[in-house]
Amino acid sequence: MLERSLVAVLPRDVARDAVREIDSHLRDRIAAAAATTNERASLEKILSELGPPQRVAQAYSVERTFDEAVVTGKLFAIVRAISHVAMSGISGFFAALGVFIGYAIGAAFTVLGIMKPIFPDNIGFWVNDEGPLYGFDLSWRMGVGPGVRHEHLAGGYWVVPICLIIGFGLLFFTHRGARKFLAWWRQRRAAFTVSVRSAL
Amino acid sequence: MSLDVWYEQLRRGTLDLAILLTVSAGPRYGLAIIQHLEEFTDLVVTEGTIYPILGRLTRQGLLDASWVEDEAPHPRKYYRLTRSGAKRLAQMKREWRSFSGKIDRLIDAAPIAERDGRDAE
Repeated sequence: MLERSLVAVLPRDVARDAVREIDSHLRDRIAAAAATTNERASLEKILSELGPPQRVAQAYSVERTFDEAVVTGKLFAIVRAISHVAMSGISGFFAALGVFIGYAIGAAFTVLGIMKPIFPDNIGFWVNDEGPLYGFDLSWRMGVGPGVRHEHLAGGYWVVPICLIIGFGLLFFTHRGARKFLAWWRQRRAAFTVSVRSAL
Repeated sequence: MSLDVWYEQLRRGTLDLAILLTVSAGPRYGLAIIQHLEEFTDLVVTEGTIYPILGRLTRQGLLDASWVEDEAPHPRKYYRLTRSGAKRLAQMKREWRSFSGKIDRLIDAAPIAERDGRDAE
């Protein structure tokens, strides 16, 4: 059951090595406990101290996920690590939200820059001819779709380099910031439990 | 923050140092590291989480792991400090001594501040 839990979150060779190590650990503990009179109770205590297989697998997974994200910088690893952070608490959730917003806006600008040559009349900076919208000064919008009656496209094909620069820039700095954040987060919140030894 | 939470954060921050110190004396396997920590400190790390930490330290290049087949009735995975690990340990020990010295100075100055605080009340 432990091997199944580990294989679900780790590469197979790593999971096998982890199972082998925990097996060795349990054999040592059982050998030490064999001298006691109540072997069954000792064995149950040993297994309960190990913890449920899913929790052990999760501990391995979190450590590896953070390592992979910080060391390799792979996007998928960073997303997985950020997801762990988001589930760790309120501050983690908002930090993760910031990262995802950075990626989303960066991706949106990049897509707009790529799509402009394909849909030149539908994508760009839309300027409202009638002045401020909704009572405040933002009188232009970045958007897709045919313009409304009193709007016209501005900027022409300058939209392409502007959007690509903003998009790639946001993606780059968000990715770099996420990696640094995960390195800091990993140091701050280790994925283990340490407890005071209770009187035995 | 409750005292227990603060205490746990303090322990978490020092566990890497404690593990590297334990291994610096010579190669040890996982259970031996746990027992050493229990014997010399009151740091009790759950078995289900010590191994992921050892795996992380190994991936970081601070520890080197190898299986020893013929020493015991069953194979054991031993961890030893690498050169990078020894360098990191030396840095951590310096930082720890510097930091704890500063805290000790604060603690020594605190009775004067506490007395002044009581007088102010």
